[in-house]
Amino acid sequence: MLKILVPVDGSAFGEKAIAHVLKLHRQSAQIEVHLLNVQIPVESGHVRMFVEHDTLEDYYREEGFAALEGARAALDAAGVPCQVHIAVGHVADTILRYAEEKGFDKIVMGTHGRTGLMQVLLGSIAEEVLQHSSVPVTLVK
Amino acid sequence: MPEFLMESSFWISVLQIIAIDILLGGDNAVVIALACRKLPPKQRSQGIAWGVAGAILLRVVLIFFALQLLALPFLKVVGGLLLLWIGVKLLQPEDDDGHANVHGGTTLFGAIKTIIVADAVMSLDNVIAVAGAAKGDLNLVIFGIVVSIPIIVWGSKLVLRLMDRFPMVITGGAALLGWIAGGMIVSDVVVQPYLEGAPSWLHYLTAAAGAVLVVVIGRLLAAGRGRAEEPPLVDLAAGESSTSNH
Repeated sequence: MLKILVPVDGSAFGEKAIAHVLKLHRQSAQIEVHLLNVQIPVESGHVRMFVEHDTLEDYYREEGFAALEGARAALDAAGVPCQVHIAVGHVADTILRYAEEKGFDKIVMGTHGRTGLMQVLLGSIAEEVLQHSSVPVTLVK
Repeated sequence: MPEFLMESSFWISVLQIIAIDILLGGDNAVVIALACRKLPPKQRSQGIAWGVAGAILLRVVLIFFALQLLALPFLKVVGGLLLLWIGVKLLQPEDDDGHANVHGGTTLFGAIKTIIVADAVMSLDNVIAVAGAAKGDLNLVIFGIVVSIPIIVWGSKLVLRLMDRFPMVITGGAALLGWIAGGMIVSDVVVQPYLEGAPSWLHYLTAAAGAVLVVVIGRLLAAGRGRAEEPPLVDLAAGESSTSNH
């Protein structure tokens, strides 16, 4: 089984990665697909002081599932089983740690899904992952 | 065109105030949204509306108090020192202790109470910084409040993302607070007579010294208490089945 990690953020940027995963699956059913959404921590010291831990986790979970929904539905529709994960932390770091600690064979990420300012700010997460990963990375454009 | 619009120092203050509002205002929105999460949907929007209104009102009151107080002897020195501390604190990694001791509650009143108390605490650093950057100019103070409103109302996921991508933004923000603090201390009514006849660049020198001080102390402290080890990865979606149709 080839373990594939697909980080998704709910944008069109994930759709391309999913399309690529579907292609891989058509070539060989011997793949195990894991979707990962990373939530950026919203908690400053102040937020921690006033918001309960459970409430924060519920919030991350809700946002995370919303971001994962599209990708999961696309895989479901194609009959490709997948597992979903939600983590909280620095986005690129968390993707890298996930891939390394959980023994993934490959990371598949979409890139250039955003335009303008969002692209400048966020587009290079994929590049950051590519630069620091010890696991093979496929960037889908 | 009014004269103040022609001066570059006015526009520099404008930029400083926008930066402060973004940097120190983002978590207000998070607290307001999260404090109302446990309410039924209809009350939720009511809670958010009242929370935001209370937050803005509180900020207006606080800043006018701050302006009065800063005219008193020594208080600009105190304010400047506070700002230096806020800047240093900004550079520290978050620790995990100190979890919610104020509970959001499931009633509308409870949620609004949490929001107001939280805002009183969180506005304080924002108010001191804005008052410092405005240098007593009422136009700028009002501008500062107006700019902070959309940030409180809509939050700023973009700001969070920006900080996630470029941690240097935070260092820049801390340096800005140090810069304002340095300038604030030398403009205190008690300090000023001693600087009679000092060259005009002295103001910039102390401001720069404040910025450097905050970044150096902040970095040293952060390195001293740096994380022993990374926290374990937690999967919040654990237990979710794979092929279920959602």
